Amino acid sequence: MNNNLTFVHEDGVEKYTDVTVYALSTCGFCKRALKFLREHNIKFRYIYVDDLEPDEKQSLKESLAKEYNSRVGFPFLVIDNSRCLVGFTQHEWEKEFSID
Amino acid sequence: MTGQKKMKTTEDTMQFMKMVADKQQWRLNRDTELLEILAEGLTKNFNRYGYYSCPCRDASGIREQDKDIICPCDYCRPDQDEFGHCYCGLYLTIDFFERGTAPSSIPERRPEEY
Repeated sequence: MNNNLTFVHEDGVEKYTDVTVYALSTCGFCKRALKFLREHNIKFRYIYVDDLEPDEKQSLKESLAKEYNSRVGFPFLVIDNSRCLVGFTQHEWEKEFSID
Repeated sequence: MTGQKKMKTTEDTMQFMKMVADKQQWRLNRDTELLEILAEGLTKNFNRYGYYSCPCRDASGIREQDKDIICPCDYCRPDQDEFGHCYCGLYLTIDFFERGTAPSSIPERRPEEY
């Protein structure tokens, strides 16, 4: 999935093999989520879904919903292409990344 | 952007947000950084879609399909009743504001067909 999408890659510590955030460029909680990852020096990649072409965006949202059996909301965090976390709640993200 | 609507600035949008909050007797989030992000987001949506589509939901860009998520959205009051703030954390109830708790993501109330 998503082979044709262009992600922004940010360097940091590899907490997991792959940390991907699907975000909206306009969303406060999405920006907070990206800031959280940067502040904790976690390696990740992200893409602003709202900036994609309509067909591309629709296809991506359908793929994510199907693959993770989840309603797609933003931010949509995917860990190791195997599980997702929808929305940004600091304590949940701290738990996910084992941050005290 | 569709039509001939005048482009909005972030300052225009900040005024709009304040006007809505005053009229509805809501409070804006006291976190000025988050407020700025949301004002920029709403401005971007207005300038590309022609209306203030919710910055925290993905819009179709078709007004008829997005009418329920034009700010302030149809889900703002029920979200405030349950969580004290809207989906974006922009508009807070006076009670929630006075408690001083920071808003965070809440479940999506918009029907699934969107």
